[in-house]
Amino acid sequence: MNSTIIYFNILLPILYSCTFGIYAFDFWKGGKRFTNSKRVFLFLTLFLHLVYLLCRTVFFNHPPITNVFEIFTILAFSVSFSYFILELVTDIRGTGPFIIIISIIFQIISSVFIKETPVVKDILRSNLLGIHVFNALVGYSGITVSAVYGFLYLTLYKDIKLNRFGLIFNRLPNLEVLETLSYYSAVIGFIFLTFAIIIGIIWLPKAFPNFRFTDPKLIGTFTVWIIYGIGILSKTFGKWRGKKVVFLSIVGFVIAILSTMFTNFLSTSFHSFY
Amino acid sequence: MNILAVSINHRTAPVELREAFHLSLDEIKSMIHHAKEELFSEGLIISTCNRTELYGIPKDQELDVLDIQNFIFNYKNNRDVKPENFQTFASMEAIRHLFKLISGIDSLLIGDNQIYHQVKESFLTSEEMQFAGVLMKRIFDAATKTGKRAISETEISEGAVTVSYAAVQLVEKIFSNLSKKTALIIGAGESGELAAKHFKDRGIGRLVITNRTLERAEKIARALDSEAISFSTFKEKLHEFDIILSATSAENTILSKEEIKNSMKKRNYSSMVIMDIAIPRDIDPAAKEIDYVFYHDIDALNIIVEQNLSKRKFEIPRVEKIIDEEIEAFVSWYNSLEVAPTIKDLRDYFESIRVEEVGKNKNRFSSEDQEKVEIITKRIINKILHQPTVELKKINELGTSPEETAVKVSVLRDIFGINYNKKNNE
Repeated sequence: MNSTIIYFNILLPILYSCTFGIYAFDFWKGGKRFTNSKRVFLFLTLFLHLVYLLCRTVFFNHPPITNVFEIFTILAFSVSFSYFILELVTDIRGTGPFIIIISIIFQIISSVFIKETPVVKDILRSNLLGIHVFNALVGYSGITVSAVYGFLYLTLYKDIKLNRFGLIFNRLPNLEVLETLSYYSAVIGFIFLTFAIIIGIIWLPKAFPNFRFTDPKLIGTFTVWIIYGIGILSKTFGKWRGKKVVFLSIVGFVIAILSTMFTNFLSTSFHSFY
Repeated sequence: MNILAVSINHRTAPVELREAFHLSLDEIKSMIHHAKEELFSEGLIISTCNRTELYGIPKDQELDVLDIQNFIFNYKNNRDVKPENFQTFASMEAIRHLFKLISGIDSLLIGDNQIYHQVKESFLTSEEMQFAGVLMKRIFDAATKTGKRAISETEISEGAVTVSYAAVQLVEKIFSNLSKKTALIIGAGESGELAAKHFKDRGIGRLVITNRTLERAEKIARALDSEAISFSTFKEKLHEFDIILSATSAENTILSKEEIKNSMKKRNYSSMVIMDIAIPRDIDPAAKEIDYVFYHDIDALNIIVEQNLSKRKFEIPRVEKIIDEEIEAFVSWYNSLEVAPTIKDLRDYFESIRVEEVGKNKNRFSSEDQEKVEIITKRIINKILHQPTVELKKINELGTSPEETAVKVSVLRDIFGINYNKKNNE
């Protein structure tokens, strides 16, 4: 079993890279040659990734949420899975390479650094933690996808303003669609992040009686939550639109990533599990 | 195949000549009437703003393209036309030219699919005038199939190739649903009218037209089921419009950056697309500096047009491949017209010899053996004719040219004297 896990660990970055290659080639060349086959390839990659996650769960006797690199592989899966669902629902197929590349980065980080957690702390076996992690991951996937669409919105906005009618102009969906995709992904991300925070707050005093409200993880998470909250409310009530909202989404995503890195590698936080 | 075609088009003649030889529907009908009497057993006449073309199956084998040129020349009685203003085609080249034409690759505006509908209408006129026989109908089917395939299987008709349509394409890159948007067209000239039509075709929610002469704006508005507003008041309502397209002949700018900025404030900086396709420009180009204002002049739109034209040119080899395939299918069908009767005639000829010889010698066999003789002789004939039949059928399958088929079939018929024997029997 262990050799299967090692094999998958090497295979997954390759699979994501191949999927990215097909999506990128299709984006570059246009036409209809890979319109359906690229989706099939993404599905196969996601299926094999799911098999890998199940193998880890069975072999190590715990879900793969006990260290940050296990979280990264789940994030890689959930970002691409979110995109897959979005592509099925909206039939917008031209934005794949920009999302799948995020999964490649997350999966490479995971594949290179992942290790077996020798002793899994008891607190990591809590059911509440499982629900918290699930919500947090869907939330982070949502804000990742939102940030990517936000970035694409800004790029297309600039290209149109400057009369640059190249690949971006020809292949991407229109500005309103990109703004809507970014907004709805952010709303989904925000809702799940809110649940994750609520569950975390309920569970936190029981698991870590000595926690501080000034803990970097708590500050980072609340900052991200407030940024997305401001952006969503402003957009919903028609105060802000377009560039301002997507810019906020990108800033929120960057802070979320920096906060995760800082919490897990540079500071001492109750949230450092590795 | 005995089909001839003569064309006067944008490659061979200047616009004055093309205009002079343009035919109205009534003229086409009248010309068909004369062509039926003098030249062709069946045919087709196409006339658009860029070409006038005659296709036909000659009644007389001696008829050549010069006779057709003279026919057109006499019909229009134009003395400026010279032989080099005509392009002529014979046999499969005429069919190929028609297929290229309906696919849009012979058009002045490459990939213009308007020609597809024009050729279709011309065929319908031919049918209505009983000028389309079996062959022309088959050519029509093959041509429309070629045109459809070119449009659906390649990108020959993709993208905007006119400035007014490029404006619509650009708007669609900013807004997702035009049915919820409002557009203002400033200037009711030719360009403004064309752009208004394009917006209407794309399902714009509300279309408003303004012009210095209000009557002109009202006329277009009535035709397009839209609104017209006075030129003196349109600036007060500027904030209501998501799309503004200006195409006036004004000497100076009619909208300043400040006026646009004020209207943007009123609409809470909701995106506004401004297309200035006038020369000189109608709107202050500095408007592009305002957030959420997408200002584009004619040069910007021309970039899109040029890009799309290059893409269409790139698609020509793919369209030509489709034309080759359809020509091959058509030739195969056409050859079968010659081959199938020849096979039948050859078999009939051998069967008649067999029947004659068996008849002559019938009494030499007992009644039980007569049946065996019938079977044996039939088998011999079948074996003799097997290889020639296979070879004749191969002509179809390999897509040999109609001329080559005609030679092979003719040699075979001559060797066995099929034509001679048939006439004698008749």
